[in-house]
Amino acid sequence: MVAFAERRPLGDNAKAWALNAPAIAVIALLVAYPIGYSFYVSLQKNNLKRPRAKRFIGFDNYKALLSDQAFLSALKVSALFVLVVLGLTVVLALILALVLNERFRGRGLLLSLALLPWAMPGVVNGLMWRTIFDAKTGALNGLLQQLGLIESYHAWLTSGTGAFLFTALAQVWNTLPFSVIILLAGLSTIPSELYDAATVDRAGAWRRFTEVTVPWLLHPLLIVLILETMNAFRAFDTIYVLTGGGPGDATTTIALLDVQTVLTFTDFGLGSAYAWVITAITLLISVGYIGLLYRKGNFEV
Amino acid sequence: MSTDVRIPLSYRIPWKKIVLYVLAVGFALYLVLPFYWIVAMSFMHEVDAISVPPHWVPTHPTLENYLGFVRPNAAQELVGGRAVSETPYSLRNSLVVATATAVLNLALATFAAYSFSRLKFRGSQVLLVLYLLTRMVPGIAIIIPFYLLMRSFGLLDTYLALILSYTTFALPITIWILKDFFRSVPRELEEAARVDRCGWFRTMWTVFLPVAAPGLVAAAVFAFMTAWNEFMFALFLTSTKAAKTIPVVAANFATDFNTQFTVMAAAGVLAVVPPLLLALLFQRKLVQGMAAGSVKG
Repeated sequence: MVAFAERRPLGDNAKAWALNAPAIAVIALLVAYPIGYSFYVSLQKNNLKRPRAKRFIGFDNYKALLSDQAFLSALKVSALFVLVVLGLTVVLALILALVLNERFRGRGLLLSLALLPWAMPGVVNGLMWRTIFDAKTGALNGLLQQLGLIESYHAWLTSGTGAFLFTALAQVWNTLPFSVIILLAGLSTIPSELYDAATVDRAGAWRRFTEVTVPWLLHPLLIVLILETMNAFRAFDTIYVLTGGGPGDATTTIALLDVQTVLTFTDFGLGSAYAWVITAITLLISVGYIGLLYRKGNFEV
Repeated sequence: MSTDVRIPLSYRIPWKKIVLYVLAVGFALYLVLPFYWIVAMSFMHEVDAISVPPHWVPTHPTLENYLGFVRPNAAQELVGGRAVSETPYSLRNSLVVATATAVLNLALATFAAYSFSRLKFRGSQVLLVLYLLTRMVPGIAIIIPFYLLMRSFGLLDTYLALILSYTTFALPITIWILKDFFRSVPRELEEAARVDRCGWFRTMWTVFLPVAAPGLVAAAVFAFMTAWNEFMFALFLTSTKAAKTIPVVAANFATDFNTQFTVMAAAGVLAVVPPLLLALLFQRKLVQGMAAGSVKG
């Protein structure tokens, strides 16, 4: 056994890197190279419809961002979207995870149901909520009217605020399961002795929650916060199908604006500059995430 | 006679249970009703689906919305006919692309994950973090150069462009999932095979991989679902029924104002059935993988 453990560490090194070589090659070619190249494109005036005007302009695309109303508005919409989606997701996911952590009849069924939104492609999620929120025939209008909560059908998606809020709701439904699963995994690691001890101390349900559950859940909660922030920040599929960014630019997030700039206006230079701003913000968030994992010691290899 | 009417302990109102069941039922409805609505609508005639007040169950159930995909009729051809006729092709395209992505992913990730689970090597931590970081890169950041790259290779509107991009999306996740599963395979198995003088590849193929099969399945399912659900890259890279995947065609339904909601609902249901079945079949493994890696960004 000793001989086995001490066997040629150099050989292991070479073997390990050889085993990783194919994966690294694919990622380098298809992720690292494009990122670098996209930075290069972001320094160009580069519109596919005007190939003759293509030239190097340094940081002009970035400088233009500071006075670019569409960009500033999209940044604001994205930030608000993240806040609303994150708030709702965390609260709902925490409650659902706490429910699923109890024992009751039908728990397994509820867990299976919780996977339903996760399996749903974002585009279909958008389609689905579109038929539900529809102004003339939507299920939401029908339901609220039959419950006597509204007199007549409303056009939920025609006002800016309405469209924004309902889009956020649709997004929350889609991303909820992921947070639930992470929180549930966190809850299941809490030793039951802690609850027993608290019960012996005559701690009520609320005190057991704040003094045992919350401290243990802090780490998974932070992971949820970071990953869901990132998710909401680059949300695209659902919004594209549900509102297409409208009305006006009420739901035009930064990701949506970027795709419009590239696909509709074929402005690859400006689009790349947008993309780099998104990348930089995402990078900041993920540095926090990885630091967090490190501190917890999740990275022992 | 005592007037002290004390309620025995067992008669106390079980508040905790009541709250629990109310919440559970509430969440179950919240999770299932939106989906139920498009399923119900996909079996309705247009007249029933848009009636006010709505019919909550299909009173005159019909398969017409689904059958329309395989034999588009003249009326549908007028209203959003292109998306209708492209639906069967897009399902085939999605199936091919997602399957190929899963296979390619396993091939690449198995080697990498093995190195993390069995070998001590310099730089392993950094490499693992790098894999995770590539997962954090927003698709939008690489789509432009990726599009230009594929255009210069003449790969626009082909399966290959999609398979390559989805493989890189899923690779970090599959490596993370497999690494955890591989660690739970007992080392003794390989050592026994080594004593029998089996080479490394034969040991992997005949001893190690069969034991690690559940992990391989979970990773493949993850990769398949990633590829099946992806929309933005497909939107950029495909333009005809030769490569359009189901999310792209489904989005065409939504952006076309003439589309019947019933047909759109049927397309949506078709798009969600494969990933949903996989999620339910492999529920336990997927939940483990999600929780262990926390890497679906």
